[in-house]
Amino acid sequence: MKISSLILVILGLTAGRVTGTPDIPALWAERVKSVVAVEFYVETETDRQPGLSYGTVVDNNGTIILPSAAVDPRVSPDQLKDFKVHRAGEAASVPGRYLGQDNLTGWHFVRVDASLLPGLTPITTFAAKAGAPAPGPALAEEVWGIGLRNKDEDFIPYIMVARVGLLQSLPQHSAIALHELAAPGLPVFNADGVFLGLATSSFGQSFLQFSRPDRGGSAVILVNVEESSVFHLADEVLPNLGRIPASVSGRPLAWLGAYGLEPLDPEVAQFMKLDSQGAVVVSEVLEGSPAEKAGLKDRDIIVALDGHPLPRFKPGSVVVSYIDRELARRLPGDMLAVTVMRGTERTDIKVALGDEPKLIREAARKYFDRLGLTVREFVYGDAVALRVKIGESTGVVAHFVKPNSPVAVAGLHADDWIKEIDGVEVKTFDVAVNKLAAIEADHERSEFVILASRGGETAVLRVKLK
Amino acid sequence: MKPTTVNLSSSRSIFALCLGLLSLMAPARAAVSRGFNQLLDSVVRIDVREVTFEEGSKRFSAGIGSGVILSADGLILTNAHVASPRAVEINITLASLEVVGAKLVGWDHWTDLALLRLDLDEVKRRGLKFAHAELGNSDKLVAGDTVFAVGTPYGLTRTVTRGIISNTSRPFEDLTGVDGYETGSFNTWLQTDAAINPGNSGGPLVTEDGKIVGINSRGYIGADNLAFAIPSSTARRIVDGLVRDGAITRSYVGLRPGALRDLEGFYALALNIGVLINSVDPGSPAARAGLRGGDILLAIDGQKVDGRFPEQLPPIQNLIANQPVGAALKLMVKRGPDTRDFTVITEKLESRVGEEWALEKWGLSVRKVSRSYARENQFSDDTGVLVIGVQPGFPADVAGLSRGDVITKINQQAVGSLEVIKAAYAGYEAKPGPTLLEALRSRRVSLYILKP
Repeated sequence: MKISSLILVILGLTAGRVTGTPDIPALWAERVKSVVAVEFYVETETDRQPGLSYGTVVDNNGTIILPSAAVDPRVSPDQLKDFKVHRAGEAASVPGRYLGQDNLTGWHFVRVDASLLPGLTPITTFAAKAGAPAPGPALAEEVWGIGLRNKDEDFIPYIMVARVGLLQSLPQHSAIALHELAAPGLPVFNADGVFLGLATSSFGQSFLQFSRPDRGGSAVILVNVEESSVFHLADEVLPNLGRIPASVSGRPLAWLGAYGLEPLDPEVAQFMKLDSQGAVVVSEVLEGSPAEKAGLKDRDIIVALDGHPLPRFKPGSVVVSYIDRELARRLPGDMLAVTVMRGTERTDIKVALGDEPKLIREAARKYFDRLGLTVREFVYGDAVALRVKIGESTGVVAHFVKPNSPVAVAGLHADDWIKEIDGVEVKTFDVAVNKLAAIEADHERSEFVILASRGGETAVLRVKLK
Repeated sequence: MKPTTVNLSSSRSIFALCLGLLSLMAPARAAVSRGFNQLLDSVVRIDVREVTFEEGSKRFSAGIGSGVILSADGLILTNAHVASPRAVEINITLASLEVVGAKLVGWDHWTDLALLRLDLDEVKRRGLKFAHAELGNSDKLVAGDTVFAVGTPYGLTRTVTRGIISNTSRPFEDLTGVDGYETGSFNTWLQTDAAINPGNSGGPLVTEDGKIVGINSRGYIGADNLAFAIPSSTARRIVDGLVRDGAITRSYVGLRPGALRDLEGFYALALNIGVLINSVDPGSPAARAGLRGGDILLAIDGQKVDGRFPEQLPPIQNLIANQPVGAALKLMVKRGPDTRDFTVITEKLESRVGEEWALEKWGLSVRKVSRSYARENQFSDDTGVLVIGVQPGFPADVAGLSRGDVITKINQQAVGSLEVIKAAYAGYEAKPGPTLLEALRSRRVSLYILKP
């Protein structure tokens, strides 16, 4: 890592020297055409929450990427509604279509209506030319990026300039600037206007806000989420721009089934003579997973993937996302060689990666307005979280409980596991839905009973309907 | 608001202040029976010094409580939260204001009772005298009966307060109520408005004839005149058991009952029969026998049970607890339209709090994971010790361990008992060297090295 960043430094300095004085306003005018503001709604049982994110145009088809933090991971794609895309500085918008989230980069992909295409320029236009030296940045180099004001100011673009303070692998090649230099998801350029990378959701720059109306009142710490000082370098961004999800679910998703990866403590690594590389402890191997089938065991220490020792990152905990990313790059059916230390023995395990079991955001769900409850299909991740065997996992999950509704008054909480309704075991999602639908439709009924489990303990809840 | 244990701590400054006031007040002659006078002479102040294993070291803490002498051979009844097996020194202040040592005979945190015995050799050697009082019948009490509380509130030795019985059977279960131990599952409590303050703990609640009807134990902090005492009917059984065996053994099946209230209609039950099973502890005898939450328990070994109201649940729990360990109980259970019998083999009831120890050079205090704690936290078994404290700057803290971690292995050896970790520590003391630990933190496994 050290050598490569050193090379970057040298090349960066060279690039800076050969060009003349750059015309920033001219570069600016072209480059703001590659950024947009995206509005959407997250529709829940009882309300619609507006969402706003900034995105970068990545191709000539009007494909836009939004940073992963744009959407709460619990939100199901079918809850995302009414995407509207604004060019920087324009009040008018055109519709967009949500394409899904990429598992490796975390980016959400949106395709904008063709009518907006003439006004947009893909960010690839500003990438370093093929064969040209890598654009950097160098340590202490002055770089600039784009921010967008809010809707009340028609998303006017503005420029931020900062110097690079640190180049680090986290595990993505990243640059950390001395202060904010772009809105999360928007591009960063060098003085010649060459694309250097995309700003990420920041570490949360905080600042003190002193109360103006209340003199002498205490100051509040605010976190600036609209501007970021960190960006992933172009070599992390450009090769992945084509990862447009094949479906809104983001599938196919490769699955290993090793739960609770914990980085090896540096002292322990030294003790085990693993201090020149990275290593992680597998807390649990999940039931029925590809890892279990291949013979991985609880407490195995992973030291290499496909024969490559895990890199040693700073901080050491980054190795966990490194492994997650290595899995995300692969497809179900791919073979992965995992080298582990088991006690003092080194073992190679060949895993045929599987298909990720249905995720919570993909689970079937149904809302019952009169009862005040959304039930959701019980999925693999629920069984893992509740520590129950997959075979024993019948029932449904209370996905949403409407405040002060009959089920809320009875004491049901969101995430409770509903095992019985009216004394009858709920074997499948359909059984639960049919039963609740019948109860909801029956206006003569005065009550029904739910057996719910929370934290390993069950309780009989009595729901009064009248 | 939950009732909280009356604290042991007392304030010397209040003591000094109030002495002046007391002398100004005219004495009200509340009770003058011979029995009452004898009772007054049998109430004692108890000063306890106990060891704690917090923050990675052995420390001592001191507290004050009350107690009552029950017999001529010096048995003293008090609260479990006043005197526990952690006590290293117990001093009794007799009615004559003489101070004598005492030893713990046994304790029972479930009922918050402990039994001590005066150092009779010392009593004899010094020629001291003491009186003893009698346990009365708490079952005959009715709300409104006049009662007196005697004890040592805030260190004010020999304080008598007066009130009435406010309620004769108040249920409350507190799973961490006695210094982290469970209490209140097997008995109901007497509620009184006699003033009870910190330091009254373990003192008697008596009728006008000086008969003990309860042992004062808890109060609502911040409330006025809401105090609770263990009924003498419960205390009598516990005293007998502690004298006989030094401990109370109970049976456990793993049922968590709930009040049925007016759900009879829903479950198609006759009125006044049945206990709702809210939950069945995973891995417990009842779970193994096939019982589930939502079942209705109708009878235990042919004896019908009625659990409509929360007040009725502790006696039912007690009925199960009183069975011999290993007994086969026949539980008649209604599930949906069917009624059938389940046979459940009882286990010995254990506390969630395991034995504690401090490994002082590591700055690490630990508590054995009990079967009950393992079930509560959904561990696969009771292997391991729970970290209950680390001392800043000591090896355990430097390695990154923190309170709440569960140490499952030491030097590659599974920690099946406290002895395993004590042995590893002894090895370290003899020859300090790096020690490898494996610990769980909310299901995640990490390794740690303790370095000299």
